Amino acid sequence: MAITFIDVVNLLINGCIEGLLIALPTLALTLVMGIARFPNAATGDYMTLSAYAGIGVQALGTTSILLAGLGAIAAGAALSIVFYLWVFRALRGRAPVASLVASIGVAFFARSMLTLFVGHDQHTFAIPLVRAWNFGGIRLLPTDLYVAAVALLAMLLLFAMLHLTPIGRQMRAIADNPDLARACGIRSGRVLLALWATVGVLCALGGMMFGIKAVVSPEFGWELLIPAFAAMIVGGIGSPVGAVVGAVLLGVASELSVPIVGPSYKIAVAFGLLLLVLLVRPRGLFGRALVAR
Amino acid sequence: MTAYLIAVGIVALIYMLLTIGLNLQYGYTGLINFGVVAFFAIGAYTSALLALHGWWLAPAFVAAIILASIFAYPIGLLSLRLSDEYLAVVTLGFSEFVRIVLQQEEWLTKGVQGLPGIPRMFASMGVGGYADVAIFATLVACNAVAIGLMLHLVRSPYGRLIQAIRDDEVAVEAIGKDPRRLKVQVFMLGAGLAGLAGAFYAHFITYLSPDQFLPLVTFYVWIAMIIGGTGRTTGAVAGSVLLLVFLEGSRFARDWIPGVSEVQMASVRLALVGLGLILFTLYRPQGIMGSRR
Repeated sequence: MAITFIDVVNLLINGCIEGLLIALPTLALTLVMGIARFPNAATGDYMTLSAYAGIGVQALGTTSILLAGLGAIAAGAALSIVFYLWVFRALRGRAPVASLVASIGVAFFARSMLTLFVGHDQHTFAIPLVRAWNFGGIRLLPTDLYVAAVALLAMLLLFAMLHLTPIGRQMRAIADNPDLARACGIRSGRVLLALWATVGVLCALGGMMFGIKAVVSPEFGWELLIPAFAAMIVGGIGSPVGAVVGAVLLGVASELSVPIVGPSYKIAVAFGLLLLVLLVRPRGLFGRALVAR
Repeated sequence: MTAYLIAVGIVALIYMLLTIGLNLQYGYTGLINFGVVAFFAIGAYTSALLALHGWWLAPAFVAAIILASIFAYPIGLLSLRLSDEYLAVVTLGFSEFVRIVLQQEEWLTKGVQGLPGIPRMFASMGVGGYADVAIFATLVACNAVAIGLMLHLVRSPYGRLIQAIRDDEVAVEAIGKDPRRLKVQVFMLGAGLAGLAGAFYAHFITYLSPDQFLPLVTFYVWIAMIIGGTGRTTGAVAGSVLLLVFLEGSRFARDWIPGVSEVQMASVRLALVGLGLILFTLYRPQGIMGSRR
């Protein structure tokens, strides 16, 4: 089957939408990397658990996607803060490896509680079914536009917080130079609490949007971890703008690869892109030259 | 009962090989390998496929070791340019990549159907009984050689250098030693041990499929190493025995607690591995036997 121009456009659109969704967990990863300074392997499972919380809200009998979203956000923030207070706070000051290994533990523990009490079944959100708009072969799903808009809005709010509010400024100060930030009287405890709450909200939104676009299963968040890592590294670690750009690039690249290598090799494309960037430009597109070793 | 204990012992010894390899990489050299299962899988499939094509087992085992080490070479090279946490991400990505290749390339691996009928070791002695004792004895010998090799390495000037790399790489360079070659060699050595473990696994279980090589296996090995104490030679022995007691024990727990399905038990296992990673990192980073450094 020959690939027409229309097909390419469709893949591009899909790739951009996927990229905008991956950008949410990528932002969560990059914020933790920049401020708490370790790769948080539990990011994907925070998404999964939040999405299940959203499904749980709908199971109570409402079809409101807004209520489900609020439930997911509350669950995501709570989960993220609980594990910060229990695990990651105690590991501050130790080597990043300790937090990294512990975050794998958090990922497994959180997912196992889900499968133990909720089971392994796949779920979908109850959303009104709508037909795709068709512009001469270029298909647009209103649902896709909706999830992409939510993701964009979340990013705008995040950037507004980072650049316009005192707590955001303090976050950036700690990311930039923790010692100097402390010398200036920034209390890192409060900032970290805000950071982990933000991470929880970002994961929850990412989980919800992926859940709306596809299905919710216990493994789906973990499977997005490698693509999110790849997007973070492509964009440059610690750079929120880079995270978004990296995620969109990754989304487009993996969609465009589908006609060539088939859909199951998406993760492999992410991995290949990650390797390429690490070899050619280890600091990523927007990373600073001096990355903390 | 004896037959059962020998079978469990064989699996414990296979994990012991993996743990020794990881301990060499992480415990002594500080290379974070989150992709242990990838080299295990490469070894298993290499040996199994060669044996199915009529090779004798001995050369097939050697090929498994060599191929696993060869795959470790580029990743070891990459580790020279990356800080520790990046290597963790790259190796984790690599293990998922390998698993997807095993799933997709059906012409080679028969995909998710799996490879049945792999020749058993010591098949001329029948199945079970003496054949298992012989496998057990071979594994004990291999582990003894691996431990001996490791002790020798650790006590040699080479080993002191390896440990110095973990503690302070810049100092190693300052005294005019090249840590780079050593790092790559250690990474390949550890991967070779994992490949050997994979070959034993393939010719003991006699059936391979991609879902035997989930990232969970990697973290079984990590937990075995952490329990035993990272960077301790005897730790790998104690850790892998305790791991098998736990894995097998959880199987028997079902007989005592009625109404627990195998699926739920898998969740419990995942929960305990996660909890183990969290609690050991928090409270006993030196393992159960070691004293705080």
